[in-house]
Amino acid sequence: MVDAARQPLIEVKAYTEVEKVEGFVGNFKVTLREKAKYVRADRCNGCAACANACPVEVPNYFEMNLAPRKAAYVPMSQSVPLIYNIDMDACIHCYKCVEACGALEAIDFSMEDKVTEEDIGAIVVATGFGHFDPTPMTEYGYGRFPNVITAMEMERLNNSAGATHGLVIRPSDNNRPQKLAIINCVGSRDKRYNPSCSNFCCMYAIKNALLLKQMNPDMDISIYYIDIRTPSKGYEEFYDRAREAGIKFIQGRPAEITEDPDSHQLFIKSEDITLGRVIEHEYDLVMLNQAAVPQPDQDHMSSVLNVAQSPGGWFMEYHPKLRPIDSPTDGIFFAGACQGPKDIPASVAQGSAAASRASRILHSDTWQIEPTVAVVWSDRCVSGKGQACGICERACPYGAIDYTKGISAEVITAKCHGCGACVGECPHDAITQLHYTDAQVLAQIRTLLAVEPEKKILAFRCQWCSYGGADLAGTSHFEYSANERGLRVMCSARMDADLIYEAYRLGAGAILYSGCHPQDCHYITGQIVGAKRAARLEKMFARLGMSPGRFRTEWISAAEGDKYARVINEMQAALDAIPEDQLKAEIDRLKPEMEKKLTKLNEIPGVEEAMIQVDFIVKDLLNKAVPV
Amino acid sequence: MSHQTLSDSLAEQVKAIPGGEMLMMCFSCGTCTSKCMIQEKLEPNYNPRRLIREAAFNFEETAFTDQTTWLCSACDLCYPACPQKIHISGVITAVKQLAVAQGRQNPYQVAKVDESTCVACGLCVQVCPYQAITLTEKKVPFRGMISVASVDPGKCMACGMCNAACRSTSIRLSQDFNDNRVLENLWSWLESEAA
Repeated sequence: MVDAARQPLIEVKAYTEVEKVEGFVGNFKVTLREKAKYVRADRCNGCAACANACPVEVPNYFEMNLAPRKAAYVPMSQSVPLIYNIDMDACIHCYKCVEACGALEAIDFSMEDKVTEEDIGAIVVATGFGHFDPTPMTEYGYGRFPNVITAMEMERLNNSAGATHGLVIRPSDNNRPQKLAIINCVGSRDKRYNPSCSNFCCMYAIKNALLLKQMNPDMDISIYYIDIRTPSKGYEEFYDRAREAGIKFIQGRPAEITEDPDSHQLFIKSEDITLGRVIEHEYDLVMLNQAAVPQPDQDHMSSVLNVAQSPGGWFMEYHPKLRPIDSPTDGIFFAGACQGPKDIPASVAQGSAAASRASRILHSDTWQIEPTVAVVWSDRCVSGKGQACGICERACPYGAIDYTKGISAEVITAKCHGCGACVGECPHDAITQLHYTDAQVLAQIRTLLAVEPEKKILAFRCQWCSYGGADLAGTSHFEYSANERGLRVMCSARMDADLIYEAYRLGAGAILYSGCHPQDCHYITGQIVGAKRAARLEKMFARLGMSPGRFRTEWISAAEGDKYARVINEMQAALDAIPEDQLKAEIDRLKPEMEKKLTKLNEIPGVEEAMIQVDFIVKDLLNKAVPV
Repeated sequence: MSHQTLSDSLAEQVKAIPGGEMLMMCFSCGTCTSKCMIQEKLEPNYNPRRLIREAAFNFEETAFTDQTTWLCSACDLCYPACPQKIHISGVITAVKQLAVAQGRQNPYQVAKVDESTCVACGLCVQVCPYQAITLTEKKVPFRGMISVASVDPGKCMACGMCNAACRSTSIRLSQDFNDNRVLENLWSWLESEAA
């Protein structure tokens, strides 16, 4: 950290908050609020004279409130940069610090927050994780029993720079504990609080136990666990060392801790799984290894940076396997536990990777993006003709559309990720998506439904999930109806209602509207746009009297090949259940309804020409086809 | 020792009964066992975690003869403690129902109805916390086809609420906890206190 601060090309902005992030990759405009420290950074030399003179003492957050700090303080002795700070909430304005600072004149009570806007090329987010507060878990008595402490409190007690200078003591009577219990999975792997595993606490418990054992070889240490997870290199060997050192491992999650109110001794009752018997042990001190949770202001940061959150609240990466460092927004990268709980080696690896990903941007004059971006036909956009609209802007998950009433909407190409939500939503067909233009997709639909359309199941699949699901069904040899015809677009949000109408107009038997599960959507909220439209369509088709089962919406992940095959087979069964003449009559009855909705289809640039070509090619192919 | 086949028939049956759906979600942390009052006060060998394993891995004979199957009072102390949010007493009840359906007898007592005096007032049906009592049409000697209370041995936990509520003393627990025995115990205790 000190090295980084001394690097001339690195500027450390301590005590500064990110207020706003605008712009796009390579061209971010970041608004920073540098909070007033009331100590001038250019004059303070970190001598601590102000802190020594300060008469006010408040709980020290960094020491987990186990020790006091002054109102003039640095968070910890290794702070970088080592510049003191005056806590105005605690300060009594006695000005003793000003006196103590003397000729240096570093203290300036007239300082104010400084808001600046900076041009930034790439952003690496490394905001870390927070700690689960075990107070709501009343069965463990944290907060009620003085000798039940958290892992972070133990960390400060056992630290030679900490409140007790490295002496581990019982909070109730300041005696040295002889029997210590560590309870793992406090708040993690617990569906009542955080269902996920916190990744590093098993190793952390073993590390703490070994450290304490080295300091006090007589200490009797037990670790209560559900499973010990030692998946990385050298971890299992470390676990072995702990066993050799005499640390006891008890498989069994304690149900309850009780306390003797006079001696403050603690009793842990748990089942010893391996024995199948309930055991109760007495301890002097109990350490709760609490879960790693997202930072308390993670939600706020996520809206400032416009990056989505995974179900647990962590920042969501672009792709869990292939792009675990990138955020869905180009130019923003994640390092460490803000993206999910991680231990030190993994955090360092991700940090280095994020730095190198970011430097690719800083070293290029141009930046390549996916070619499937959206483009507005400004002559068709009604906003340019003075009508209020803005539907495209509301649909865009990336804020890539610039809409002002009276001016034709515009796509900020560098921000566009090519989901096609705006294309699917635009009621005036004024936006198109390169490589997935209406003409191209309609041409595919026409070809797929050229022969016996009433027997076909037309499946709209999204590129990332349901297309992958169909692919997996194929590679896994899950059999499904051969009448299925698949069609790929980038996202369920691109599946324009016009495309569905056209397919029914052509006489499609059934249509599958499929995409990612909402939490898996690769375009932040694209699936939500798609799901809303699918629900609207479902309602409308029911009103028009379409047989149930001819339109189906399903969210299928790339790992659900079996589900894809099952859905198609169920749709085939539903189609088979409709008598042939009844189906034909229904298609004929709905055809004019669909035509009513498609009167302007041929006005879309490129569509008419494409349809003439497709009809010609299809006719040619059918002529050449050998009758079976 | 004979080999146990790892077929999933028992597990599938338990999962099919309402309450038993979450059977396979157990990761054997033992919280339920160490939370259990029956284990602590009554029967040290009582173990809900073990019963869930037995059911999950189709140790049918062991599960049906395990006293855990028959002793659980569904107090649900373990339910809010379970990190996997499994309704453990629901799973145990499902196992018990399967055992009863197979014709297994509850080794512990259940409430018995004296059909010669039952007037089918339905008070016991209302007080039973386990919904074990129903009124059924039945042919009773000397009384003909009448409605009487009947106890489902798969659900009865022998708490004695029905015994206390019954106004015609027609429903009672077996020898150990019938009215006379309880009164005798009470008198002898009072006398010893007085002396």
